Amino acid sequence: MSKQQDLPRLDVEGVSVAYPNGHLALHDTSFRLEGGTICALVGVNGSGKSTLFKSIMGFVSPKAGSVRINGQPVRAMLKKHLVAYVPQAEEVDWQFPVSVWDVAMMGRYGAMNFLRIPRAIDKAKVEESLRRVSMWEFKDRQIGELSGGQKKRVFLARALAQGGRVILLDEPFTGVDVNTEEAIIALLRELRAEGCIIFVSTHNLGSVPEFCDQVVLINRTVLAYGPTSEVFTEQNLAVAFGGVLRQFKFDQSTIQDHDGRAVRILSDDERPLIFGKDGHLEYKDRGEHEELLKQRAEEHE
Amino acid sequence: MSEFIQSLLTPFHYDYMLRAIWVSALIGGTCGFLSSFVTLKGWSLMGDALSHAVVPGVALAYILGLPFALGAFVAGLLAAATMAFIKAKSRIREDATIGIVFTAYFALGLLLISLFPARVDLKVILLGNILGISDPDIWQVIAISAVTLLVLGLKWKDLMLFCFDPNQARTLGLRAGALHVILLALLAATAVAALQAVGACLVVAMLVTPGATAYLLTDRFGKMVWLSSAMGGGTSLAGAYASYFFNGATGGCIVTLQTLVFLAAFLFAPKHGMLASQRRLGRAATTPAP
Repeated sequence: MSKQQDLPRLDVEGVSVAYPNGHLALHDTSFRLEGGTICALVGVNGSGKSTLFKSIMGFVSPKAGSVRINGQPVRAMLKKHLVAYVPQAEEVDWQFPVSVWDVAMMGRYGAMNFLRIPRAIDKAKVEESLRRVSMWEFKDRQIGELSGGQKKRVFLARALAQGGRVILLDEPFTGVDVNTEEAIIALLRELRAEGCIIFVSTHNLGSVPEFCDQVVLINRTVLAYGPTSEVFTEQNLAVAFGGVLRQFKFDQSTIQDHDGRAVRILSDDERPLIFGKDGHLEYKDRGEHEELLKQRAEEHE
Repeated sequence: MSEFIQSLLTPFHYDYMLRAIWVSALIGGTCGFLSSFVTLKGWSLMGDALSHAVVPGVALAYILGLPFALGAFVAGLLAAATMAFIKAKSRIREDATIGIVFTAYFALGLLLISLFPARVDLKVILLGNILGISDPDIWQVIAISAVTLLVLGLKWKDLMLFCFDPNQARTLGLRAGALHVILLALLAATAVAALQAVGACLVVAMLVTPGATAYLLTDRFGKMVWLSSAMGGGTSLAGAYASYFFNGATGGCIVTLQTLVFLAAFLFAPKHGMLASQRRLGRAATTPAP
């Protein structure tokens, strides 16, 4: 492994966060992630996912507990530019007069001098990052003139250029076509191989077992966390989502005989998650996915 | 012919005109630079509010014989702090908060001025008096412009990132809170300077129109900053010069000129102008979808 640095560690210990109006957004939240991993953050809207992200980025100070990266408080780690954030599309002003190149260069600001004049190394990093997400030929485009998938990739390039070791992604797959989704997943898996902690907040339940080796399920506190195969179960998801998920239960379906012809589909707006009888995962093309899932489970070991 | 040229040069024979022209250009350029940030951050209303909220500070400074810039700056920051406080402590929306606070400050200013009519002239504050600007006032304008241009010139990239994506600024360890206060303080300071040139009523034009015009003309922030500064400086210079011939209010001349330039950009900007958009629509309608 060429880029093997010290593997990052993220410790969230007993974090409670309250809003100014006294409303408790997170209560006694604890989990630990070590690089490299791709971990999904799954929960209903209002379950505290974005609050958790904000506390990992040091935007909100917990009322109790602590967030530590490599054993250090978050704010000290921000100065080292270890935490990178890929925002949701809705958070970005796409009409802002900046080009693809400009946005990727913003990832380098922390490493630059007082005047933020790019050095050769900054330019090289930006070029490398843009090439890696196949956005190099669009470098002079204004960001509003890109497709949904391209927009995502620009901000991924910014996180790459920054060289973050803990990368937070907020809904990376909304408004993205299937090809881009696969490209993003491939890139995240490369970063995982380089030892990064990739923490992905997502509603795309169907894709979680395919690319995440760990899952944190939250609803105001951590309900369960650990390897996907153990945590991402029908039972746990029912607890996490209560009655909120769309459910389609087909007691008499065209599914194969060994399923007893019963499937249950859970969807949180995006790609559905399909459980067969006894809670195993269902896919359109079974054989291929079973191989993939086995691979994921082994990787985690 | 030579008589015509002679008459064109007459404003330059008068000391007060020369001073008005270059001080206006300096103020216009500074406000133009800042206006790029103000328009992109969505602080136009804030600029309007601050330019009115500084009035009690100006009045009080004149009454007490202090530098007007000091009084205005303090009043501006106090107003911004009041708005932030009300916004944080109540459920009232931001625009309503701004509306309540700046009118409250402005009313207080009017009251002060009406109580001490001999010390301050309401007309000067509302409409500006660049033709009769005093030397100490010129020095204050120079100081404000120098500090603003220096800070913006050195830290424009940080401020751009703050306007574009404050969260990214924070995750890089930049102090977003400090950048917020810096931008707000510069806004208050330049509002004070612009007060001299065009008066409290028209300050917001100096702080918004150049940036909005430049925004229509380019897709690169660096270029936008140059365009808005040049437009602010150029229109202020030309407006002050033209006011000699029209014998009209300098502020009125400058802002009318800015509006004309804006309208030209609105219609004819190569990519984001109205005509260009219509041409694109027309082309899209005639060419069959791929």
